[in-house]
Amino acid sequence: MKQFQYVRPATIQAALDVISKPGSKIIAGGTNLVDLMKRGVTAPDKIVDINHLPLKGISEPIGNVMTVSIGALALNSEVAENSRIKELFPLLSMALNAGASPQLRNMATVGGNMMQRTRCGYFYDTTMPCNKRQPGTGCGAMEGVNRMHAIFGASDQCIAVHPSDMCVALAALDATVEVAGKKGKRYIHFADFHRLPGEKPQIDNNLAPDELIVRVIIPTNNFSRNSYYLKIRDRQSYAFALVSVAAALEIDNGIIKNARLAMGGVAHKPWRLFEAEQFLVGKTASEENFAKAAGLAMKGAVGHGGNSFKLKLAPATITEALKHAAGLV
Amino acid sequence: MKKAINVTMPSSAEGMSRVDGRLKVTGAAKYSAEYTMPGLTYGVLVGSTITKGHILTIDTKAAGRAPGVLAVVTHLNSPKVPGDQPEKGKPVPDKGALKVFYDNKIYYNGQPIAVVVADTFERALYAASLVKAQYKAEKHITNLPDNRDKGFAPRGEGVYKRGAADAWQSAPFKVEQEYIVPTVTHNPMELHAIIARWDADDKLTVWDKTQGVNDTRDDLARLFKIPAANVLVHSQFVGGAFGSALRTWPHEVAAVLAAKVVSKPVKVVLSRADMFTSVGYRPFTWQKIGIGATADGKLTGITHEAAGQTSSYENFTEGPVGVSQNMYACPNVNTKYNLVSLDIATPTWMRGPGEATGAFALESALDELSYAVNIDPLELRIKNYAEVEPSSGKPFSTKFLKEAYQLGADHIGWGDRKQVPRSVKQDGWYVGYGMGSGMFGAYRSGATVRAKMMADGTLILQTAVSDIGPGTGTAMTIIAAEQMNIPADKIRFELGDSSLPPAPTQGGSATVASVGPAVVKACTDLKEKFQKLIGNGGEDHPDYAKVLKEHNLPSLEVTSSSDGGNGMEKYAMNSWSVHFVKVLVNAATGVVKIDKVACVSDCGKVISPKTARSQVIGGAIGGIGMALMEESIIDHRYGRYINNNFADYHVPVNADIPQIDALFINKPDPIINVMGAKGMAEIALIGMAAAVANAVYNACGKRVRDLPITPDKVMG
Amino acid sequence: MKSDKPTPETTDVKDSSRRDFLKQSTLLTAVAVTPVVAIKAANDHMDEHLAAVFEKMPLKMEVNGKTVNLSVEPRSTLLDILREQLDLTGTKKGCDHGQCGACTVHVDGHRINSCLTLGIMMSGKKITTIEGLAKGDQLHPMQEAFIKHDGFQCGYCTPGQIMSAVSCIREGHAGSEHEIREYMSGNVCRCGAYPNIVNAILEVKDGGFAV
Repeated sequence: MKQFQYVRPATIQAALDVISKPGSKIIAGGTNLVDLMKRGVTAPDKIVDINHLPLKGISEPIGNVMTVSIGALALNSEVAENSRIKELFPLLSMALNAGASPQLRNMATVGGNMMQRTRCGYFYDTTMPCNKRQPGTGCGAMEGVNRMHAIFGASDQCIAVHPSDMCVALAALDATVEVAGKKGKRYIHFADFHRLPGEKPQIDNNLAPDELIVRVIIPTNNFSRNSYYLKIRDRQSYAFALVSVAAALEIDNGIIKNARLAMGGVAHKPWRLFEAEQFLVGKTASEENFAKAAGLAMKGAVGHGGNSFKLKLAPATITEALKHAAGLV
Repeated sequence: MKKAINVTMPSSAEGMSRVDGRLKVTGAAKYSAEYTMPGLTYGVLVGSTITKGHILTIDTKAAGRAPGVLAVVTHLNSPKVPGDQPEKGKPVPDKGALKVFYDNKIYYNGQPIAVVVADTFERALYAASLVKAQYKAEKHITNLPDNRDKGFAPRGEGVYKRGAADAWQSAPFKVEQEYIVPTVTHNPMELHAIIARWDADDKLTVWDKTQGVNDTRDDLARLFKIPAANVLVHSQFVGGAFGSALRTWPHEVAAVLAAKVVSKPVKVVLSRADMFTSVGYRPFTWQKIGIGATADGKLTGITHEAAGQTSSYENFTEGPVGVSQNMYACPNVNTKYNLVSLDIATPTWMRGPGEATGAFALESALDELSYAVNIDPLELRIKNYAEVEPSSGKPFSTKFLKEAYQLGADHIGWGDRKQVPRSVKQDGWYVGYGMGSGMFGAYRSGATVRAKMMADGTLILQTAVSDIGPGTGTAMTIIAAEQMNIPADKIRFELGDSSLPPAPTQGGSATVASVGPAVVKACTDLKEKFQKLIGNGGEDHPDYAKVLKEHNLPSLEVTSSSDGGNGMEKYAMNSWSVHFVKVLVNAATGVVKIDKVACVSDCGKVISPKTARSQVIGGAIGGIGMALMEESIIDHRYGRYINNNFADYHVPVNADIPQIDALFINKPDPIINVMGAKGMAEIALIGMAAAVANAVYNACGKRVRDLPITPDKVMG
Repeated sequence: MKSDKPTPETTDVKDSSRRDFLKQSTLLTAVAVTPVVAIKAANDHMDEHLAAVFEKMPLKMEVNGKTVNLSVEPRSTLLDILREQLDLTGTKKGCDHGQCGACTVHVDGHRINSCLTLGIMMSGKKITTIEGLAKGDQLHPMQEAFIKHDGFQCGYCTPGQIMSAVSCIREGHAGSEHEIREYMSGNVCRCGAYPNIVNAILEVKDGGFAV
């Protein structure tokens, strides 16, 4: 690892001053950044430790404020274990607990989880071509080992996936991200936070380099009784998703009033299944309808050989997740 | 289920606890990288980034100038390794171990091309990233299936036949299938590590992860042309190895070279990525089995072909087809074993070497045959039970596999198994049962043990053997405690040091069988010495401390050896195992969960029930990993591993593993040695992968013949 | 927020020449800085002496109940500091990338992977390693249970497993075998001692021992 300058700003404003300089990287939990630095994938001149900033809190819905706010520095384990989160958004708690390991969840923050890079092997190996790591070198995975890779929204530049579980749940829960920049605050809808690779796979998301995630805001909902996060992976725990599905239903007398679906392990960003959600509204909560919804969700999916099995696994996982959410399993 | 120690199924709390347990649970056990000494420096290897060709230029300037760097050693400036140099008048062998920093040739991706030495690990690691080489690359091949036509028979011994060749073809019921065991990497938790220190121009001390301190000593003495007596190898604790520390590897030589260059002790610890290219692996092996039976399930013929990969510079051989020769009574068997040289590093033995690979194919094929002929797979095995060794006609020293079958079947609830897949569901998951059997030669060799009774009644036993985890010290202490009739806590077993009396390398499940008799011999001789001291009429187990005091002696010691023994010429000696597995399969998503496992071992007398049980469980879990998730994947365009880390190379985690029942026949083998104990490490794994694959088929009707059985291969 | 007053974190930065150096930094609100100039000097090998001073930063933390004052490079991980500088080799390096759990230690009572933790970020924290778990000669109940149930073979992952096992109970995740398995899945054991580890944790949990 290259030697770097370590700074520890005391205020958000100070942090914004520092991160606006090129070569700076924010560190929070460090679970991905330190890993990337060890592999030489990133070699910042300056590490900006933001752990002392007041961005940890989890707020409750109070009065007519029907949202929960989670600070960017809240630990993954704190959020997953928070009793109000478990009660209001069991989907988020399940997704968080499906990710990484207890130790890593004790280090990783909500903001850091959002900012984590892909786990594509070509991205990690600095001797391999990778447009995300080094634009213009090509995509190693496209014609290579791409079992873990994207079936939705990929470009000819990049077929990497975003590895987060938490983000899949947050996308399904219609969260909003509050970010701070030198010009002040702005809000990004969670589904728009991460981006597709397009011609610029080196850019993972729509956070500007001189901006900082402050918190994530989740509107309360009626999904808590019928939510499920199903993650299919090569072992039972501590592995990235082949495919994961966040499913949330509001069911009244067996009829679906509202549905939210998002997938992980299939795209460069958490993949919302808007069409399938719409289809489910007004339908009976049955396996047959779930399978139909899953079919709709697969429109536009493209396999690249090694990952073509996902074209079958993804709809199967959607159906399974919905069955769990609806209590049919 | 509570039973006394000496019966078939100990609980995890039964039996004597490990003698080194306290050191291990307190962090006081020191592994090779954990010794401190004045002037210690850190070496980091630089690996080649091409797969075949040669180095044109290597730029070490930036690395050499980096803070704290003491040396950058490459083929251009390395001291010569005397043992690698061609000898006058002797032909240069065309194959042999990789010569470290010898010339500019590249044989595999990741081959060490430099070692950077600095005063701290961080500085060495960073400086290593600054070494830049330019290469002339040549076309490489790393893919076995595409290059099977280049196969050759190792040492001209690749073919075996008894009875008629390909007799299975004319059987009324038959199966012919291909099976793939991919490259699987040992990946012990401890990264391979060495600290090398030259104490004089011809005196070398190393703290090294090795399964055999004597072998390492001899290799280093040969390579550096110094007397073996001048090489001291310490390997007191070894954090797992499973075969990866059975030989001397390039990083060990590199560390010794680096220590010479900087005239300071150098520590080299491999990275996890290095572990995939630097210390061997179970070779990718293609197999084809043709097997036929009569309508009543009698085997008529087995044809077993295998092609395993090796490097371009060494022929690594193992015995994947051996199981087909001797597992079942079958009149016609022919086998063929080929090697394919690829531009990869040399493989090495990994737990259950060859046999584990072969047993996956044979035990899967047998299962397939059981469906073809519609006979229960257990019954099919019993019908073809070998009462004598099929290849030689020799009697077995002991074989209680039939009893093992019954025990295991009862334990798993084999009676609940349905012959038709997709017959049983539990909570929405298909339920399946499978079995797989294993065998491994029972080996032993000579060993020497020093036994020293101290004035305070403490018995010190010393021998050079390594303990990579099975609990050698514990088993030996149990043996000595019984022999001497003293409490185990009065015994200290010292090992892992080449200056101690010689013992074989820990491998091939032979340690207890080899070193145990030497312990017995040493104890017997020591007791005899006490008898002589006491004179006629002395007790067999006197108060040793009292006797020493009476004779005013500080201690009494003997050094005794066991030989390898005989019996091989009259008997076939093997350990046997059978594994029963119950799985749950989600047919839609392809997820497989191991629900229940029962492993029965027929390995002679069980010396140490607690550690034996752990070893069986560990082997079963290794087999589950092999079955469900382990595969080192190369991108053949680059010849480079793409999943060379613990996030992408999956080994089982706790959530994958249920309680595993380890059952023992526990009947002594009177031929193998005085204790009647045979090896159990290899058989604990051999046959397990097939048991899982067979259970998956039984559950959902998907037959997976190319490991690992990941969800994508099972779903739908 | 323009002030060159040190925040509480800077109180261990006592070296006045270092303070002077910091003043030249444009980063007046930030503290604990490794100057770019020093890094450049170090990288260029221009002034080894200067580099040796300025590459390092003071770190004060508590390890197993004792305060340690160190001078560390910002890039040094907690794991490497424990093993290479403090000779606390009970904490193991199994992958160095947060993928195996062998390096698990407690920071302020919570289990983390020390291999992905920059040491400099541990300023003011309380670290407990395997060496700090026993009370003198009296083993922690989890250590006793691991011995009794043979929760290991080679012993290399064991310190991490034990630190994790203690947390597993403290966190309230030892409610069932199934839950223990899930919450112990961040610790890889290649020897395959998992069922024994589960038994050890159950024994401590069911025995009502204080962890």
